[in-house]
Amino acid sequence: MKQTQTVKTIDPSLFKSSNNNQPNESIMDVNHLNLYYGDAQALKDVSFSVKKNQVTAFIGPSGCGKSTLLRCFNRMNDLIESVKIEGEIVLDKKNIFDNEIDVTSLRRRIGMVFQKPNPFPMSIFENVAYGLRLQGINKRRVLEEKIEWALKGAGLWKEVKDRLDGSALGLSGGQQQRLVIARAIAIEPEILLLDEPASALDPISTLKVEELIYELKSRYTILIVTHNMQQAARVSDETAFMYMGELIEFGRTDLIFTNPEKKQTEDYITGRYG
Amino acid sequence: MNNSLPTKHYDTRSIKEQAAKYFVTLGGVSVIAAILLIFFYLLQVVIPMFSASHIKELTSYHSPVVDNAELSSSSAQKKIIPLRDKTLVIGLEEQGMIGARVTASGKVIFFNTTTGQVTSTQSLDIESAITSYSSHLDLVVLGLANGHARVLKIIYEVSYQNNVRTLTPKLKFPLGEESIELDPSGQALTQVVLQLNDDSAGLAAVTNDQRLVVSHYIREESFIDESFTTELESRSEKTIKSEVVKLALAPALDHLYVATQGDILYDYSLNDEGFVNVPAKYTFKHPITSIKLLLGGNSLLVGLHNGEVQQWMQVRTKNGSFLTFIRNFQENNQAVSVIATEHGRKGFAVSDNHGHLTLFYSTSQRTVASIEKLDSAITHMAWSSRAQHLLVVDDQQIMHLYHVDNEYPEVSWDVLFGKIWYEGYDEPDYIWQSSASTNDFEPKFSLVPLTFGTIKAAFYAMLFAIPIALLGAMFTAQFMAPRMRQTVKPTIEIMEALPTVILGFLAGLWLAPYVETHLAGVFTLFIILPFGFILSAFVWEKLPNKAIFEGWEAAILIPVILLMVWLSMTLSSPLENLLFNGSLRDYMSQQWGWGYDQRNSLVVGLIMGFAVIPTIFSIAEDALFSVPQHLIRGSLALGASRWQTMMYVVLPAASPAIFSAVMMGFGRAVGETMIVLMATGNTPLMDMSIFQGMRTLAANIAVEVPEAEVASTHYRILFLAAFILFSFTFIFNTIAELIRHRLRQRYSEL
Repeated sequence: MKQTQTVKTIDPSLFKSSNNNQPNESIMDVNHLNLYYGDAQALKDVSFSVKKNQVTAFIGPSGCGKSTLLRCFNRMNDLIESVKIEGEIVLDKKNIFDNEIDVTSLRRRIGMVFQKPNPFPMSIFENVAYGLRLQGINKRRVLEEKIEWALKGAGLWKEVKDRLDGSALGLSGGQQQRLVIARAIAIEPEILLLDEPASALDPISTLKVEELIYELKSRYTILIVTHNMQQAARVSDETAFMYMGELIEFGRTDLIFTNPEKKQTEDYITGRYG
Repeated sequence: MNNSLPTKHYDTRSIKEQAAKYFVTLGGVSVIAAILLIFFYLLQVVIPMFSASHIKELTSYHSPVVDNAELSSSSAQKKIIPLRDKTLVIGLEEQGMIGARVTASGKVIFFNTTTGQVTSTQSLDIESAITSYSSHLDLVVLGLANGHARVLKIIYEVSYQNNVRTLTPKLKFPLGEESIELDPSGQALTQVVLQLNDDSAGLAAVTNDQRLVVSHYIREESFIDESFTTELESRSEKTIKSEVVKLALAPALDHLYVATQGDILYDYSLNDEGFVNVPAKYTFKHPITSIKLLLGGNSLLVGLHNGEVQQWMQVRTKNGSFLTFIRNFQENNQAVSVIATEHGRKGFAVSDNHGHLTLFYSTSQRTVASIEKLDSAITHMAWSSRAQHLLVVDDQQIMHLYHVDNEYPEVSWDVLFGKIWYEGYDEPDYIWQSSASTNDFEPKFSLVPLTFGTIKAAFYAMLFAIPIALLGAMFTAQFMAPRMRQTVKPTIEIMEALPTVILGFLAGLWLAPYVETHLAGVFTLFIILPFGFILSAFVWEKLPNKAIFEGWEAAILIPVILLMVWLSMTLSSPLENLLFNGSLRDYMSQQWGWGYDQRNSLVVGLIMGFAVIPTIFSIAEDALFSVPQHLIRGSLALGASRWQTMMYVVLPAASPAIFSAVMMGFGRAVGETMIVLMATGNTPLMDMSIFQGMRTLAANIAVEVPEAEVASTHYRILFLAAFILFSFTFIFNTIAELIRHRLRQRYSEL
């Protein structure tokens, strides 16, 4: 009985209704964030807040620091030597850069999908099960349910349900990327970081991923870095335009794209650079 | 015009490409050719050992006789039928050129074996009729009707007359030129046997009135002219009821074997005084037709009426030593008539009453060759001492000279890989002992202890090396600070270039004695080192500001390790005094019965492990380091710790190369020579104990090849060992490569 209930609560189709719950509540606040790679400053006094169940897009020319900023949210920058961070990102009233914050549980709450699809050299099943197993979930039935749910959520279930034990490396690039998204959502994070998730994909796969982002919005807060302004315009609710490590403009996507406040934003959107 | 330029350009490029292609192909092919060359060279040396032996009749003629007509020239015209004197004993010179025949009338006739022409004759001037005889190698003993015995030795003097090698047969009388009185009562001797040693001699005989007489002599060499004086030490006798078929006297003069008509073999124990106790009695299923001692006198060959030859040995048991059945030889079921043993090996020829002739070899229990040509019973056989010629006399007084091509009778599958019951051992066993001080020694060529030693050495080395090398590689590749890695990696790789002779030298001359005196310390180290690590990790966790040291943890452990080593070595002596009565080594052997060899597996494991670590470390580290970052990030982003990422993503992805690293390490440990040569003690034992040494195939080759006679069995077996080592490595590497290939396919599209 318990099992079936779980299935029902995690069916993605059921979550659309919860869309309108406090749409404008902020989930994370970025306060005066400065980041240095050695002596070079990559982020300059960035401040904004991320709203719950919204898609926030980061746009800007290459090297503007948008990916660096995204990696701050799950502290992936820790892996890079000689990174120095000042300022704070507040989640649940705690600065995530505090020493007492457990990075692994932070990353469980804030999932990430990378530019290049990076499935593990394992079966499709084991790829999605990876994060669950890390949390100590090893019961086959629980895993099967969660994996089905996650793959359905990532819109991949129909394509792979017959070859769950086949290697994940045998999937196409678009399938791999959706698998990676399934892997990320399987552990049910609150926030999903997408680092140019469609840049390595063909148009059809890109479309599928974008549709997926739109659907996932109902359940997750999504931060997406993209090169593609149309994509940002299509999928996001809010957009941040960054240039040379600075947050130039941040606001509702429709406003940014139709009526930017800053000239730099307008120049970028109209294609004058980047 | 448009086409010509690109074409020209293409031409030079294609020439270069072709040249490169052929060059690379040539390189690859020559590597394969070199390996095949080694393979076939080894095989070519090994194969003759397994080729069949041959026996071939060279010639045959009537037994050479002294032509009376020639001797008495006065009766030149009278045609006198040559006196066919009965053959008692025959002998053959070392190279089979000259034969000797001792006749019933007391003449020794030497003849050319190829032609049958008599070359010289000597008369023994025997005072009485010859009633019995026996021979052993070039020694002949004749029992006389007056209870005396005459001992003679046939020697062939080599001289170079006009630069031509000339052999002059001569007779020597090692126990004096006069007959020796064996039975004071003057009864005829119906059986007689002799054993002649450097400082003693023994004669045993059976008299006409059913008495067994044994006499013991002491021989002393004169300092002046190397002549011997012989003195009677004791003489004793016993009556024996049944009729004696044959006698055999052990070289140590401690056993007299008596085969009797009633298929019973008696084993009389002897000492300097004569008989001791009652004889041990052994009953056979078939009548005994002949007995003979094998070279060295440890084994008694018993020929039976059913054609079987059984080998028996004195074997020690709790209740003393007893004759024990070892193995048997049988080619047909014709009664054995003569057994002739080889002079230099444990082989023997057996003939029967129907003219079959079979060559056997005892250790390998092999039927080496046989011939079934003769129709008449064989009465005498003699080997040349090189065992290349066999002289045979049948009951028609026809002599046959055989050439025997039988160089490697010692080798069989069982000898190399099975348990063999060797002379002087209590039970069958795997033994390697290729040489000894005596000539009548039985070579023991079991490759099992060597293979075992090789695997044992590699096992202990890998036991030490794998954890350290792999864990070290894991830490260096994924956790260590890049700047520290830059120094650590090349340093360990340079360790690989360290000549192993230096390591072996250190192991044998420094580490082995050190470990022996600090044994308790070494074991303490194994216990306190993990505790030290855990303790320092605990202290480390409590330290503030440790983030700046991230990746340098290993460097911080160095003083901890040094401290632990110092502590254990300092504690070693007090510990041994306190707990083990002063010496753990002695305590172990007394309390637990664990023998301790100074050069043992512990030392080999440590030093060879040290030699193997760089190999494993280097390959494994490379593989672990080159696991794509995006996989590691993907895992970390899912909330995996770095250790979990290592275990579930990095290790599986690097597993093909890690497997190959371990295989390479194992291959190196198996083939390693200098370290095991210097640190194992080279004792070919079959003992898994960490405190015992071993001998590996590689070290064995290194030790014994210089002393092995070229093309001898020993030499070829060493090549076989090399061949096994080569195949072992080859097969192992091939399997490893196949598995690696399959694993790599699984992880290829990263």
